[in-house]
Amino acid sequence: MSAQMMKKVMPMNRLLSLMMMVGALLSTVPALAAAPGITSNTSTTGSFTLTAQAAYLNQPDGNQVYAWGYGCSVIGSTPSFKPTLPNQTCNTMQVPGPTLIVTEGTSVTVTLANNLPTAAGNTSILFPDFSVTASCNASTPTGVQGLLTCEAAPGGSVTYTFTATTPGTHAYYSGTQSDLQIDMGLYGAIIVLPSNVPTVCGSLGVSSSSTNGLPVTNPGGNAKARAAWGEKEFRLAAAAYDHPGSCYDREYLFQFAEMDLNIHRTALAQVSDPKRIAACASGAGTPGCSLQVPTEPYHPNYFVINGRSMPDDMDPNFDSVYPHQPYNGNPHMHPGEEVLVRVIGQGRWQHPFHEHGNHVRILGRDGNLIKSVSDTYSPTAGTGTAALAGPLLFTTTTTPGQAFDGIFYWTGRGLNWDAYGHNPGSPDLAANLPCVPDANGYNTGAPTAINYFEWCQDHNKPLQAMPFGDVPSGGPATLPDANIFTNGAWYSGSPYLGPDATNRATGPTSAFQPSNTQANPGTERGYAFMWHSHNEREITTNNVFPGGMFMMMLVDSREFVIDESN
Amino acid sequence: MINTQLVRLGLPTILLAVLSLPAAAQSFRVQCPTSTITHPNPANSEPTYTAPTKLTCSVANGCGGSAGNVGYMVPAPSTTQLPNTVQGAIKCQQISGGDGYATMADGTQTYMFSFGPLSGLADIAKGLPGTQFPNVFNMPYPGTLLPGDPATTNGASDNSGGYSVGTPGTFAFNGAIGLVNDLAYLDSIYDISEAGSTVTVILNAPSFFKMNDPIVISGTGTCYDNGLPVGTVGCLAGTPANWVVSAVNVPNSIFSADQAFQFVAQISPGSFVIGLPDVNASSTAVVASLPGITGHVDPRQIIDIGVMNGNIPAPLMAFDEDDEFFLTLSNVGMIMRPDLFEQHTVHFHGYPNASSLYDGVPDASVAINIGGSFTYYYLAPDAGTYFWHCHITPPEHLQMGMVGQLYVRPRQNRVPSGAPLYAALQAQQTDLRTACNSAADILCSNPLPAVNTGAVGGGQYAYNDGDGSTAYDVEYPLQMHGFDPNFHFVGMTFNPEAFVDMKDKYFLLNGRSYPDTVNPSVQLTQSSDGRVHYSQPLPSIINIPAGKKALLRISDLSVTEYSTLASLGIPMHVIGYNAKLLRDQAGNNMDYYTNSITLAGGESLDVILDASNKTMYPSGSVFYLYTPQLDHLSNDAENFGGLMTEVRIN
Repeated sequence: MSAQMMKKVMPMNRLLSLMMMVGALLSTVPALAAAPGITSNTSTTGSFTLTAQAAYLNQPDGNQVYAWGYGCSVIGSTPSFKPTLPNQTCNTMQVPGPTLIVTEGTSVTVTLANNLPTAAGNTSILFPDFSVTASCNASTPTGVQGLLTCEAAPGGSVTYTFTATTPGTHAYYSGTQSDLQIDMGLYGAIIVLPSNVPTVCGSLGVSSSSTNGLPVTNPGGNAKARAAWGEKEFRLAAAAYDHPGSCYDREYLFQFAEMDLNIHRTALAQVSDPKRIAACASGAGTPGCSLQVPTEPYHPNYFVINGRSMPDDMDPNFDSVYPHQPYNGNPHMHPGEEVLVRVIGQGRWQHPFHEHGNHVRILGRDGNLIKSVSDTYSPTAGTGTAALAGPLLFTTTTTPGQAFDGIFYWTGRGLNWDAYGHNPGSPDLAANLPCVPDANGYNTGAPTAINYFEWCQDHNKPLQAMPFGDVPSGGPATLPDANIFTNGAWYSGSPYLGPDATNRATGPTSAFQPSNTQANPGTERGYAFMWHSHNEREITTNNVFPGGMFMMMLVDSREFVIDESN
Repeated sequence: MINTQLVRLGLPTILLAVLSLPAAAQSFRVQCPTSTITHPNPANSEPTYTAPTKLTCSVANGCGGSAGNVGYMVPAPSTTQLPNTVQGAIKCQQISGGDGYATMADGTQTYMFSFGPLSGLADIAKGLPGTQFPNVFNMPYPGTLLPGDPATTNGASDNSGGYSVGTPGTFAFNGAIGLVNDLAYLDSIYDISEAGSTVTVILNAPSFFKMNDPIVISGTGTCYDNGLPVGTVGCLAGTPANWVVSAVNVPNSIFSADQAFQFVAQISPGSFVIGLPDVNASSTAVVASLPGITGHVDPRQIIDIGVMNGNIPAPLMAFDEDDEFFLTLSNVGMIMRPDLFEQHTVHFHGYPNASSLYDGVPDASVAINIGGSFTYYYLAPDAGTYFWHCHITPPEHLQMGMVGQLYVRPRQNRVPSGAPLYAALQAQQTDLRTACNSAADILCSNPLPAVNTGAVGGGQYAYNDGDGSTAYDVEYPLQMHGFDPNFHFVGMTFNPEAFVDMKDKYFLLNGRSYPDTVNPSVQLTQSSDGRVHYSQPLPSIINIPAGKKALLRISDLSVTEYSTLASLGIPMHVIGYNAKLLRDQAGNNMDYYTNSITLAGGESLDVILDASNKTMYPSGSVFYLYTPQLDHLSNDAENFGGLMTEVRIN
């Protein structure tokens, strides 16, 4: 990270605001990500009562940005959350809107109440991937037919019903004056879970006796490893689609969008304008009760993932600091786990989302699984040849209105050195662990070991010619004097993965110079991979680097317990 | 667990820490081992491919099946390898991180943060990759390097008629800039004794010889056994004069252990020199280290060449599957921005299963301070078109020009002429590292093709396709990028930079805009050091011999927007995307034809322009690659130029 850059671009008032925020935020407990959402907030699964209204979003430069968002209407009952996370809440306004989680085939009902300022006019929701019936064709509630869909007038409401026909990740967003309303924050996600999860993907829950599920070469091994370390289940399902190629171990949902502060400020100024307020007092549609917010030229200066800019996106889900931005972007995984990445482009721009660390196999887009012409798999029978055809990408473009599902993994295969720094001569037992390759070359037969899923061909193979510490020597690389380095906040402190190896390589204090901010503390020592927009100017927050569309994927060795709910 | 509060706390802390840092000592070095675990013998060429390197355990005890197995996998003896050698080679390259100037197509000189070549200078000037085998890289420059080289030695100048490129090729050196011989140590011997073939040497002072140091024993006297003088037949005549230290800190009965070391007096396997200790009879016996090449550099040369030698694109890198690649980045500082302490890194974009340390993200690893060198180590990943860039403050350093090209050639290029490609890809399945099994690996991109076409080796291929579907005759790396002149001016003049309003005005193909893209020679820029530098070595003319196919290795590193490149006339046959073959899990090829491709910054794509139809694409015809984003066909204020080049059928 370039501190110099901070110096060059960051006005002192912003720097001070950042420093002042530190004290306010130190009390919060960090947690991880998952893909949290609600399965209903009425008494009926698949039935949702939402409201559109205004609130302020927190940005890391200290700005409070006036925004509009969907939220849970107080008229509904207590939301049913999935998975269960601490401090979970469904506010009356949040950006993105509540993630609606339903199962394939479910009849979904969404009632939207328009509680936006009257001058904002009508609002609505589009569910572009589904065949929607709206209440403009029914008696109650009475929607107003708009250009694209049935709309809710100020103070009114509208009901949409559809069948969740296709599994996968889907977008929903405003279909009314979209250029304004989407930039203001009126968007969200629907996750449809497959109704025929393939048997080979296993079932939800961690078990030390799993015989199904990943990895393919040792079914159930990943679940056994999670059970061995007491890790909880947080997945929504064991597969993303009705297809054996879509099994996964972890999942994260990232919604990309931009905000142009001028639009938000102008909207706030106009809804606060006494003349407009007076006009609107006579009811919506009264002359003068409307907004004229220019949405061109478009100059977005906030580039957000799940409504937050870096580093806020790496704070917990439902962190009370962000009452209207409940979802984070803070992925973690263990070597060999397959991570389902659910991504939606919600703004009006495309963003090239670059996943450091490995490629991503695109499973499908907008709920359409991309299959090979040779694929004959039958979801209901559970038989046939299963073959995917989605591309393998290291940069996954997010496209406005489009969702994709992809699978990422990391194993360290092919590094040509032992990432765990095993040292057979060491008195430390953890440095002497065996590595027995499975049919794919990985140590998957030892789910309780900290080197579960190690790539065995490089086992014991040294990296450094003459290392300091208890790691093997004789390797190809000579690392320079640490004094010519600047260490990053997420640097583990050594080339090796995990606290055991790093302690052996650097000593138990792991005091590396010159400044260790320990975002990757001594108990973790994972490999951090930056996941970010490769339109690099978008990893800024209102002209300040770093910020924006930027997060870290932490690959943690097994001894670090990933707990999505702490 | 992650704690972003600490990050918030950390940013101002780092800021304060950096402001108070003392200047670090220079620590330039290069690394290019001549042998490694993976390549135990000097590997200065690419062997043919018929099978993966056969591996064996390094010790008899075992290689990891149970605790206490102390070995690791190493190449089996070369006599058991097919075809008689291990696969791949060692490749090395050195680059500078600093600044420089480039010339835009409207004549403007643009300031850059940039990488420049510090090895393979002659090759880079010719538009070739600067990646070298160790026997080329590990070569000190025999003469005196001049600032601005290779342009200076080539006689490049800025005269009244404009730039002259001089006499390209005068500067023919491709080794590492700065590399010098190690200093030779010399010490006098008190006693030297022999037990079998192991010789123990006891010095008159503490030894500074290290394990594996090559040494020379010399002196006068007579051999005890036969009374002959040293150096005559029968007494050490004709034997090699140097050995290698095999043990240090050897306890002995005369002095302390730190004054003794041992070596094995072996001249070839199984053949040992007997009688060496007899030189102990001489009072003149001395031991000296050889002035070896172990990566020590003369920093003056690195500064002389590295300062202001920025290239756009950054130096081209290319190597082969199974290679080990040692890439040394030397941070020479940015002379135009003395206010900055800017570090630099290399991000090998797309490297699969990367380690954080060598991923180049400063937040997640280490960043290289000014005056330091860092050597990145990579085992070649799967073949494909990748690219690389600095990852410090990416919106700034990428926009300012720290972007380069990198590709990995497939094993299939090494399959002997006439040998079936399908069988060669089957052979790759026999090593789990090179295997690609769709059923077990969701990121497998080149399973065996669904159809065995019977294609045979001998050509050049973009991927290990097994069916010849990615064959080509000539290849051209082509990188799209954009410069915002306002941002570059601000970046040169100490002003705060704004990211929101960044707007590219120069649209570059390999660092140049039309018509510079069709200038066949290296492009020069006179920089603020008064020297003429080869700033933009790569033209973008796509020369295709009539009836042949050209592979375009296209990458995009724009930091602001998506870019489209269209082909006027010859369809684009898209065969790879993001460094992966376009093939589904069942082995069906997913290649397609189009006449335009659109890439984001951070993407790459492989296109074959197939001119095999000589009727449609006759010799002498010219076609165009250009952007249909019409506002990108401009060079700042000039409403002409931009992202365009020519395809010439020769």
